Amino acid sequence: MDRTQIKKWLKAPDKMAQKYSLWAVYFCTGCGIIEVPPVITARWDAERFGVIPVATPRQANLFLITGYVSLKTLKAIIRTYELMPEPKYTVGFGSCPINGGMYWDSYNTIKHLDKYIPIDGWIAGCMPRPEAIFIAVTHLWTLIEKDMAKGYIKYRENYKYYRRNQEKVLGKLEWKPLFPID
Amino acid sequence: MKIKEITKIFNDVSVKIESNNRIILKAPKDQILNILSFFKNKGFEHLSLISCVDWIKEKEFEIVYILTTYTEENTHIILKTRISRKKAQIISITNLFENAEPYEREIHELFGITFEGNKRLTPLFLEREYKIPPFRKDFDTRKYVKEFFGSIPPVPPVKEKKK
Repeated sequence: MDRTQIKKWLKAPDKMAQKYSLWAVYFCTGCGIIEVPPVITARWDAERFGVIPVATPRQANLFLITGYVSLKTLKAIIRTYELMPEPKYTVGFGSCPINGGMYWDSYNTIKHLDKYIPIDGWIAGCMPRPEAIFIAVTHLWTLIEKDMAKGYIKYRENYKYYRRNQEKVLGKLEWKPLFPID
Repeated sequence: MKIKEITKIFNDVSVKIESNNRIILKAPKDQILNILSFFKNKGFEHLSLISCVDWIKEKEFEIVYILTTYTEENTHIILKTRISRKKAQIISITNLFENAEPYEREIHELFGITFEGNKRLTPLFLEREYKIPPFRKDFDTRKYVKEFFGSIPPVPPVKEKKK
């Protein structure tokens, strides 16, 4: 452990623990997932940063959305996101979740992902290099430290707007609202 | 098998042989079941694809069936048939080839063609209903995206509570 960080550990152990145990849910969307296997395996070894893939959303708190999001995938993304325990952080990977990317005129691909679930950070590019994931992770550390990665709180407080947008594109959702809508 | 053999058995079927042993047949829509069952008995047992082309200027859909065989190497039978765009109906071939079902469902969903005899024409890929099926040429994707995805408002930022 880095000796200079002992102060931080004593001051806010919960934040430090969240920082160094970003477990990413194994959820593949689009083509960006091709960058993830080299990241988690020996070549770039994401475990140096505390990032490991986990099988179920119940264990995870980092959600990488790695590519274009079709309407059917959006349904699965919302479900997975709502299953994850708080605190949870989402990162949009690649240009497609940001503004549609090369699918900007597609009839079945959503354009702005942050209208449906909150996003804490974006990685632009088509494709971003695997190093970009680490830049995002280290950036997320500073956001967590400064209490700025508040996507999950935004989701809780603005849930009626998110739910409204989700129902606008997907029709009526089969599951009950996660938080009360007044 | 020779071209003459095929044209002898089936009337108004045009046959063309392209390179790589591709045999292209063009037939009217009421003959496709006969032709496909004829080739199935000849050993072309594998239906590898059904696809659809929208010829909007000619006001027709072209449905393409591709058959392959396991006995002769590299031989493909490509059967093309045309139906009118207004009355988009064609007979289903699920009784002959069972694996035709998902292809027919896909074409039904994306082009709006009904296959008579297919019992499972339920939604396959799409989550929404579109006024015009989205793979037809007269479906304006840019206009649709502008109207539909452009109308979804962004989520307002969270108001900070006063301490």
